[in-house]
Parts: sequence; C-alpha cells; structure tokens
Amino acid sequence: MKVLNKPVDMIAVFYSTGKIEPVKFKVGDMPVTVHRILKKYSEKLAGNRRICFVCINDGAKVYELKYEVDTQMWYLFKM
Amino acid sequence: MQGRIIMHIDVNSAFLSWQAVYNLQRGHSVDLRGIPSAVGGNQVTRHGIILARSIPAKKCGVKTGETVWEAKNKCPNLVLVPPNHHLYIKCSRALMEVLNEYSPRVQQYSIDEAFLDYTGMEECLGEPVSLACRLKDRIHKELGFTVNIGISCNKLLAKMASELKKPDRVHTLFPEEIRDKMWPLSVEDLFMVGKKTAKKLQAMGIFTIGDIASADPGLLKYKLKSHGLLIYNYARGIEDSAVFPGYYMPMKGIGNSSTIPFDVEDTRTARLILLSLSETVAMRLRYSRNCCSVIAVSIKYSDFKCCSRQRTLLTPANCTMDIYKTAARLFDEAWDGSPVRHIGLRVTGLDSDNHIQCSVFDHPRHAGNLQLDRTMDNIRSAYGIKSLVRACFINSGICASLGGIGSENWPVMSSTL
Repeated sequence: MKVLNKPVDMIAVFYSTGKIEPVKFKVGDMPVTVHRILKKYSEKLAGNRRICFVCINDGAKVYELKYEVDTQMWYLFKM
Repeated sequence: MQGRIIMHIDVNSAFLSWQAVYNLQRGHSVDLRGIPSAVGGNQVTRHGIILARSIPAKKCGVKTGETVWEAKNKCPNLVLVPPNHHLYIKCSRALMEVLNEYSPRVQQYSIDEAFLDYTGMEECLGEPVSLACRLKDRIHKELGFTVNIGISCNKLLAKMASELKKPDRVHTLFPEEIRDKMWPLSVEDLFMVGKKTAKKLQAMGIFTIGDIASADPGLLKYKLKSHGLLIYNYARGIEDSAVFPGYYMPMKGIGNSSTIPFDVEDTRTARLILLSLSETVAMRLRYSRNCCSVIAVSIKYSDFKCCSRQRTLLTPANCTMDIYKTAARLFDEAWDGSPVRHIGLRVTGLDSDNHIQCSVFDHPRHAGNLQLDRTMDNIRSAYGIKSLVRACFINSGICASLGGIGSENWPVMSSTL
C-alpha cells in the first residue's frame, strides 16, 4: 500500500448513535463503493483527531480512509 | 509541604516534534526529528530566528534564538519549517487533557510544560516512577511526541529533574539526590540563572550549582540582591509553591511587541503601529480585569540598537486611547528619527479595574471611549479580532492588532514557579 493522504469526496452515513460509516467515494472521476470495513480505530496524533477505517474491496484490495474531525474532511490515506 | 510528589512534564523539542508528528500523520515519509531540521520564522517578514531545532540540528551547532541565516551557515542542509501556532495550541491542549486524567491538580506552566501534583494519588495509580513511565509511553503512543518527566517533592526540583537527560526519560531528583545529580551541573543549568547572572557568579569563583549551595548567602545577597538568596535556596532545592490548577500566572505586566516587515521611517506609520499594539495590549488588560499605571515603549533600530521610555500615569487606565496617547508621546521622546525595525509596548503597575479613579484632566470623551472599548471587546470576542478594525488601518498594510498570537490564549513562560 502507498501513502496518499488525498482528500476525497465521500458519501458516508452518520448514524444517530454517533457511528460513522464510509459508503462511497471518488478517486479522480472513478466512484468506489466501500465493500467491507475490516477495522476501525481513532488516532489523536499531535492532538489532531482522525477516525480511521481499514477497508477491503473485491476480497483483496485493502485501503485506508480517514475522517478528520476538526476539518470534517475525508482522506484516502493509503491504497 | 513535606511528602509531596510533584511531576514536571516537558515536551522534547516541542514545536519541532509537534510539527514532525503532524507531518507524519499527513503521510510525510520523513520524520523531522531524525534529520537536521528546525522551526524558523519567515526571513522575508524578518521574523527569521530559530524557534526549535531537532537533536541532529543541535549536533551541528544550531542554537535556539539564532538567526535562520546563521543556522544555515552552520548546517547547509538544515530543513526549515514555518511555525504553526494553531497546531501548537492543539497539541498543548491534547497533552493537558491526558494529564488531567491523572490528577485534579495540574498546572499548565507554559505551552509545552506542566506540573502535576501526584500527592495522594499513589493509592489509586501506583508508584510515581512507574506511573510516570506509563504516562510518558501513553503520550508517545497516543499523541506521537516524547516527553521528559521529572519527579520530586517540589516544583523546582521536578523541573530540574526533567531537564537532566533528554529525550523520552523519567528522572527523579529528591532532596537526597541533589548532591549527586544537581550540584555537579553548571550554574547556568539552575532555574532562574541566566547568562548575566552566570557571568557574575563565575566572576565570584562560583561555577557549579554545588558552589552556589555552599556559598555564603550573605555574599550572594550582597552581590545579587534578593535574587542571590533565591538562587541560593534553589541550589539547595528549597521551594514550596503550590501546584495551581489550570493555567496560573501571577501577572506583573502585559506587553506586546512586533518586528515590522519593513523599516519604519515616518511618524504616521510609527503611530499606526503603536495604535495597533495599544489595541492588543489594552484588550488583554481589560480581559484580565485590570488597569495599569505605568506605560513603557521600547524601540529597536535597524542597526539593532535599542532604547526604551516609560511613564507613570496620573490615574490608572485601561482605555485603548489613553494607553495609545501616552505611548505615542513616549515614542516621540525616545525616537531619534533612525529607521525602526521593532516596536514594543508594555503596561505594568497593574491593579484591579473594580474602581478607577477619575481625573479632572481626563479627556471630555473619556467615559464614551470606555464604553466604546467595552463594545468593541464584546464584538471582537464574539466574532473574532478582525471583525472590527479602525478605519486608519484600511489599506495601510499594517495589521490592526499587532503582537498577539491569533485569537487563542497562548500560555507563555513565566519566571515564577
């Protein structure tokens, strides 16, 4: 996997319980649907809170999405 | 105050390591802490000094406070990053949040330092040293930067302990360890001994902290006045101030200064800069619910010569225009007409603003000005400092409120523990 940290347009579900789930995002012009979330964790490096999602598509392509709480931006962190 | 356990938590190369962690979080492959790097001001706006440097940069001889140009000469491959004050405040707050989980008495001492009173917490959280190790590792894992923790029975010794060996260490410095760990250190390593005091001490044949501790306190007092007794006590580890929860700093004065991006050569520009500084200083003064009775202006010329003037007011004030007018008069008296690169404004002689003495010499619009200040403060606190700007600053190219650091409350270093 390569580190990209690229801001992406995202469709996500913000549940009333406080849970966040990424659903679909765009890499360039190509839409990508999130198939499965393998792992979710949050990080607070340098006091900057990010919620991280390790996802998998087609049973093989693993990538990492991050939601930055302060800026409310989604990043495709690794692919 | 016997039997206290005080910890001093100090972030290693704070500004630089915070930037390094932030960069790593954003996917940068290089850790600034592992290469010769420094946080430096912008040379174009002449704020070009080194604010923090990495350990490899330190090995190249780069010093905090020297100019970027000097640092680049010593270490040509030095990587410079600009300061990011909002990031520092975020990191500082995250650190304080963690510390507050360990004790109800945590005092933020500066943006990257805090005292934690661990007295009585042993029952719940375990031995101080093992807790400090866990805390240090937790901060590293969770927030990404390393800290030094000093443990002792008072704030002074805890602070001295955390300075011992860096980075990422826990040190103890209890009174019985002073002789071995603190006394062999050079006098400059003692808190409150700066370059000038060190020079005076060295002239007296005092070179180590141990020498201060064994010196005649009468002689120290004779040579250095009350400061001599203070450092004598510090050298013997005597200090008993309490850990004040929150961010506590006994305030003696409020000041702001700014290096101007260009040399000031005309009165109008100088007045604008003074007004801009008066805005910031007076706003901070009112926010602290104080008024001042002494106003001081300092000038640094383009050839780095400095001069300053101060005046005691007839009656204490906290009105922006009152402060500005006195500052402008002081500036006119002090200025010799040479190009100016740096102007500072400081108010001291603080007193509560509960009752302010009126004077027959007050400006007829004095009450109106006070009302105006209050209204402007309210608008600025609600909508930001830039929401309301005096018309004279429009198109002047000068910031309307110089000297402050954003709109955030910036914890600064204090000489009082």
